[in-house]
Amino acid sequence: MLLLVALGLLVAVRATAVDERLEYQVKAAFLLNFTKFIEWPEAAFDTPDSPIVICILGDDPFGKTLDQIVAGEVVAGRKIVVQRIKRLPPPKSCQELFVYRQEKEVLKTLPEVGPGVLTIGEGESFVRDGGMIAFVVENRRVRFGINKTAAVSAGLKLSSKLLNVAKSVEE
Amino acid sequence: MRSFRDIPIKQKLMVITMATTTAALALAAIGIVAFDAFLFRQSLTRDLSALSRIIADNSTAALAFNDPRAATETLAALRARPHLATACIYRADGSLLAKYARQDGLFACPSPTVQDEFRFSNTDLTVSHAIFLSGRRLGTLLMIYDLDEISERMRLFGTTVLGVLLVSSLIAFLLSSSLRAAIATPISHLVSATTTVAQTSDYSVRAQKVSGDELGVLVDRFNEMLAGIQSRDNNLITALRDREEALRDAERAHERFRFMAESMPQKIFTTTPAGDTNYLNRQWMEFTGLSVEQLQNWGWIQVIHPDDLDANVRNWRHSVETGEPFLLQHRCRRADGVYKWHLSRAHAMRDASGRISMWIGSTTDIHEQKEKEEELRRANEDLQQFAYSASHDLQEPIRNVAVYSEIVAKRYHDLLDPDGRQFLGFLTEGGRRLATLIDDLLAYTRAGVVEAGIATADASAILQRVIASLSETIRQCDGKVTYDSLPEISMSQTHLQQVLQNLITNALKYRKEDPPEIHISALYQGAAWRFSVRDNGIGIDPEYKEKIFGVFKRLHRNYSGTGIGLAICQRVVARYGGRIWVESSPGKGATFFFTVPERAPRAHSAAAESSAG
Repeated sequence: MLLLVALGLLVAVRATAVDERLEYQVKAAFLLNFTKFIEWPEAAFDTPDSPIVICILGDDPFGKTLDQIVAGEVVAGRKIVVQRIKRLPPPKSCQELFVYRQEKEVLKTLPEVGPGVLTIGEGESFVRDGGMIAFVVENRRVRFGINKTAAVSAGLKLSSKLLNVAKSVEE
Repeated sequence: MRSFRDIPIKQKLMVITMATTTAALALAAIGIVAFDAFLFRQSLTRDLSALSRIIADNSTAALAFNDPRAATETLAALRARPHLATACIYRADGSLLAKYARQDGLFACPSPTVQDEFRFSNTDLTVSHAIFLSGRRLGTLLMIYDLDEISERMRLFGTTVLGVLLVSSLIAFLLSSSLRAAIATPISHLVSATTTVAQTSDYSVRAQKVSGDELGVLVDRFNEMLAGIQSRDNNLITALRDREEALRDAERAHERFRFMAESMPQKIFTTTPAGDTNYLNRQWMEFTGLSVEQLQNWGWIQVIHPDDLDANVRNWRHSVETGEPFLLQHRCRRADGVYKWHLSRAHAMRDASGRISMWIGSTTDIHEQKEKEEELRRANEDLQQFAYSASHDLQEPIRNVAVYSEIVAKRYHDLLDPDGRQFLGFLTEGGRRLATLIDDLLAYTRAGVVEAGIATADASAILQRVIASLSETIRQCDGKVTYDSLPEISMSQTHLQQVLQNLITNALKYRKEDPPEIHISALYQGAAWRFSVRDNGIGIDPEYKEKIFGVFKRLHRNYSGTGIGLAICQRVVARYGGRIWVESSPGKGATFFFTVPERAPRAHSAAAESSAG
């Protein structure tokens, strides 16, 4: 039994490595899961029942996967919505902002992203550049690092559980 | 093995105390253990439920971001619970995310369940808890908790209970010792008292009362019972002693009677109530020359004279039937064949209820007396005959003396000088007195003869006749004779007249200066008439009360009389079975009494008849 499970995991990890599609399925699930361990200030929303909007800036590596994952999800009384945008969003329109790795220019605009928005990128440099959460692949597993200072200064409260599972936390 | 019923109460008490204590403790222990097991499971359930919630909550992030390391770390916190053997976290798809196993690592992770559950087995508790995050199921937490703790607790309980049992048994044992003092001691007192009584029959023993409970009451009742038995025992002993005393008394009385009977000159006998002779004294055997065996029962009839046998048997049977005394004169044959006169008497001895218990009799040799009596009777008869003949033969010459002396006094009155006339007077007077004396003597001898046939006399008529014949004398002395109504009695008229005439004549003669007053009355008393003749005369000195009834007994020389009157009276009254006597004192008058039985008594024996004839 244990052997079977281990075998399954091994297959999954190899698949992630060879198949980018699988990697982004995991990342899509992570995008959703982040909403469950982070608390946004009221000021980050238009109204008390406004949805949590996950914005994908520039290229979309998820395709329909992300939409399927968030469909019907409700976190802290709010629905989850996915939006694909081309420019930096206006305040209160996005709560999570995912930046695909090809969008190198976006990194320069990160400081311009207003408070109340969780910025998520790829590669460890993303957090060094002022991003808040960065996906990294380690031993064929998707993990993430956190820039806690950036998140706190943006008015977000990160759950300790989230910090606990992070690969690295920048203070 | 001895049954519980037979062991001493001391041990019974101990067994009961110990058994009760042990049973109570065992039940209490079982109850406590069962309740404790229940409570323990409940609290364990609550405890593990909370623990599983915490672990599940803490592993949400690890599950959400697929982080086995974080999950393993979370599970590692379970090390603090030594009884938690295994914990597993599964992903939603059922694959294992993380696992915790105690160092001994006995448990592997089983496949997860869909439902939350608490599953108790004998050895462990399996807790299954679904892990949710924002309404979505992330996975499952499974924990296996070994229940060694429960058996450990049981062992601990068992040890404690055993200890308590030992201690309480010891206390129970000590308590039963003091119980023994409270219950067994009074009982053993009672037992020792009963044993003493049973062995010694000494009812003065008393059981010691120790307590006021039912045992005390039992002791009291037992003592009361003993007291009752003791008093009854004493009464019995007294009664026995009395009875022995009575028996000894009876024995002594019997011996005394024997001795007395044997030492008597008379022949003594006793018979049964039915008249069978059962005892004869020595004198019988000596007289008859026969043995006791020959004489007892009715053997004695062989020594009775054939002429007396019929009267003897008849009278004896009559006495036995009626209980009246037996009295008979008869002849008994002596050892040498000579018959001797005897007087036999027998009286019935009665017990307290009046029933005849025996007859006691005596037979007295009266032969000599009888012969003397006969001799005397014959002499008396001769004398009487002589007196009668003498008086009768004397009458004629005396009458001649009187008649011729009177003729001489009349015819030769002038020829005689005064002296001669006086002498002749003496002669005439003497002759007259002699004639009277002869008459009286004749009357006296005749007084002893009862006329043939049953005569009756009307006492009133006779008295009137007597008063009439004495009327001249009564008139001369101005006397007064009164009388009550008198009965008709069984007596010859001549005899009654003789008696009354003599008594009234005496009463008139022995008077004082005052005119005599005489009263005659009769009273029926004890089957006889008692006549009384009361006067107011000179009376009689008590010294002479008996003597006056003798022949020629005269107290007063200055009163005329022959001295035969009262003797005649006595003889007459005696002939009819009566009695005559006087009550008087000098100067106070006298009352003469005589009795006449209603019927002349029947003679008892041939001897009496012959002497009467």
